Order: sequence, then C-alpha cells, then structure tokens
Amino acid sequence: MAKRILIVDDSASVRTVAGIALRGAGYEVIEAGNGQEGLQRLDGSKIHLIISDVNMPVLDGIGFLKEVKAHPDYRFTPVIMLTTEAGEDKKAQGKAAGAKAWIIKPFQPQIMLDAVSKLVMA
Amino acid sequence: MNDVDVQEVSASQRAQANPLLPLWARQIETARSQSETAIVALTARFSAIVERIDAALGSGQGGAGQPDRVAGIRRSESDLEQVIGALKAIQQSRNQLAAEIRSIGAYTEELHKLASEVDSIGFRTNMLALNAAIEAAHAGESGKGFAVVAAEVRSLSNAARETGKHITRKVSVINDALVRIGTTNEQVASRDEAAVNAADEQIRGVLARFAASTRELSEAADRARTESRAIKDEVCESLVQLQFQDRTSQILAQVIGSMQKLHADQLSADGSQSAAELAERHVEAMLNTYTTTEQRQNHDGVQSADIAPQEVTFF
Repeated sequence: MAKRILIVDDSASVRTVAGIALRGAGYEVIEAGNGQEGLQRLDGSKIHLIISDVNMPVLDGIGFLKEVKAHPDYRFTPVIMLTTEAGEDKKAQGKAAGAKAWIIKPFQPQIMLDAVSKLVMA
Repeated sequence: MNDVDVQEVSASQRAQANPLLPLWARQIETARSQSETAIVALTARFSAIVERIDAALGSGQGGAGQPDRVAGIRRSESDLEQVIGALKAIQQSRNQLAAEIRSIGAYTEELHKLASEVDSIGFRTNMLALNAAIEAAHAGESGKGFAVVAAEVRSLSNAARETGKHITRKVSVINDALVRIGTTNEQVASRDEAAVNAADEQIRGVLARFAASTRELSEAADRARTESRAIKDEVCESLVQLQFQDRTSQILAQVIGSMQKLHADQLSADGSQSAAELAERHVEAMLNTYTTTEQRQNHDGVQSADIAPQEVTFF
C-alpha cells in the first residue's frame, strides 16, 4: 500500500511541484494550504510523513509542527520543513519543535524525494 | 515638550504622512497577486502536461506492444516455415515416386531379356524339332510316330517364340508408358521445386520486410518515448524554476505589510516619536521579519546572489 504524505504550503505552485514528484515516486499525497488546514487533514487519515512550509497564514509551520508533535497519533510521524527560511535561528526552532529535516526552497524534487524515502523507511 | 508642542508635532507628522505609501502598497499587491495567479495557473498547466506525458508513457505506446509484435513475427515465421516444410515434403514424396518408376523401368529391361530368352529357347527347340523330324524321316515307318511328336514340338516352339515376341512388345509398351510417366513426373517435380523455392524466397522476403517495418516502428516509438521523457524533464525543471513565485510573493508581501504599517503609524502619530525614530523602528521590524537570504543581503546592501537549490539538513 502506498505511503501517504501530507504537504502543507500556502503556495499552490510549491504544492504542485512537490505533489508531482511524490506521486511520480508512488506516494499518495494530501494537500493543505496552511497549518490549520493541515491539522484538519490529520484526523481520519493515516499519514506517514508530513512536509510543511514555515511562513504561512492562519497557522505557521512551527506552530503546526508543535501541534503535530502534541497529537497522540502523530507524535512520531516524521516532519520535513520545506521553506524559504534560511536563518539558523528558524532552523533551530524547527529542530526544537521536532522537525526531522530542513529543505530550503527552491528545491530539487529528487533531493526532497531522497529525504522522504530516508525518513519514511526509518 | 509640553502638550501643545506634542500636538503640533503629531499634527505635523500626520500632515507629512506619505500618501504614496498606500498607493505603492496597493500597486505592488496587485502585481504580486497577478503574478501569483498567473504562476499558479502556469504550474497547473505544466502539471497537466506532465500527467498527460506520464499517461502516454505508461500506456505502453510502442513500449509494452513491442514484445507482442516480436512474438507475432516469430509465430508468423514459424507458421510459414511449416507451410514451406509441408511443400518440401510433397516434393520429396514426388521424388520417391519418380525413383519407384525408375526402378520399375529397370524391371522391364529384365522382362525384355526374359522374353528374348523365351524366343531363343523357342528357336533352339524349333531347330531341335526340325532335326528330330529329319531323323524320323530317315527311320522310315518306325519313325512316323516320332515325326508327329517332332511336328508338335516345332509347333510349340513356334508358339513359344510368338509368346516371347508378344511379351517383348507388351513390355516395350509398358516401358514407353513408364518413361513418359517418369518424364512428366520429373517435369512436374522440377516445376514444384521451382515453385517451392520461389515461395520460400517470397515468404522470407515478406517476413524480412515485416521485421524491418516493425523495427522502424519500434525505433520510432523509442524515439517518441525518449523525446517525451526529455519534454517531461524540461517541464519538471520549469516547474522547479517557478518556485521563485513563492519567494517573490513573500518578499513583496513583507514590503507591502511594512508600507501599510508605516502609513498607519504615520497617521496615528502622537508625537512621542520623531520621524527618524519611527523609520528606525520600521527598519528594525523589517529586519526581524525577513525570511529569505536575499532579503537580508538587500538589507545589508549586498548584491543578492542567485538562489540555487540546496542540500537537506537532517536533524
């Protein structure tokens, strides 16, 4: 059965690029436009990995990540932050909140796929 | 400053509130929004192209069908080989028949010799009977009975000679017929051999042309597949490049937000901060809300470099 991945990003073009790459690699993809929508997608879905932007309206990526790690069903689900944020302080916030990897946009789909594959298998 | 002075300063600052700020902000927001809408639409189009190429590549156009065509050619080749084999078997049977006819011809030679032998025996018997008749005549009365026997023997020997000649004629007729059958059979066999060889050649020619056409089709399909993959890679690469929209949108959104906030602060100025202090506070706010490397580079007056895709940082 295909592993299910949730992409949370307010940029439709980024969701599309990531979605094409992931679907092409055999993953099932669910999309959300911000952290709040992302949390709604968690319930009722068995999600194996989450890819999240950091700067988003309504609920940002770090806030979303903290909620995910507080969720009883998703405490151990790996989260990759996919963001334009290159600052070390933001990376440190992400790490502290429980992110497993940090990818800076623009990203090469293959690099993202390698990271997803590594974390999904872990 | 006393209250009057503060009121005068704040009134002065409000009066100086740059009316261009909200105007610029709206214009930039319009450009940002239009750009985002267009890029999202473009991304969706590219995405649809990628999906269509994937569907075309996955449907096995010229790909999955290739082994079927090769197997089809092999089956046709095998079937036609069997047809040629059957024709050659018929030809072989005809050659066997010709050999049988030739061996019967050899028997007729033998029959000829036997018929000559009968004739020869008849001749010698006739001569013997003639001599016996002469001897019987010499014997006079006592040889009369023997003369009758000698006459009968002569008559029988003549009959034997006639039979021998008759056999020779009939054997000649049979032999002539066998020669004609053999000749006709060989002519037919020769024509059959030519026809089988021609059929063999034509069938091999047809199969070779069929194989060549299939190879050309297969090569064309391979080229189409390679081209499709190259186009897909190009489109995917274009999609990667379109990610700039996310960065520009964030940069512009921050500028718009900063302009709107500065304008709002200018309008609500109470005189507690000078224009310079207000500007400094907004510069500080901008610095704290940058998200991209190029924003920080621009802030520091450094020429912002192209942003290349980077490696993953694992925690």
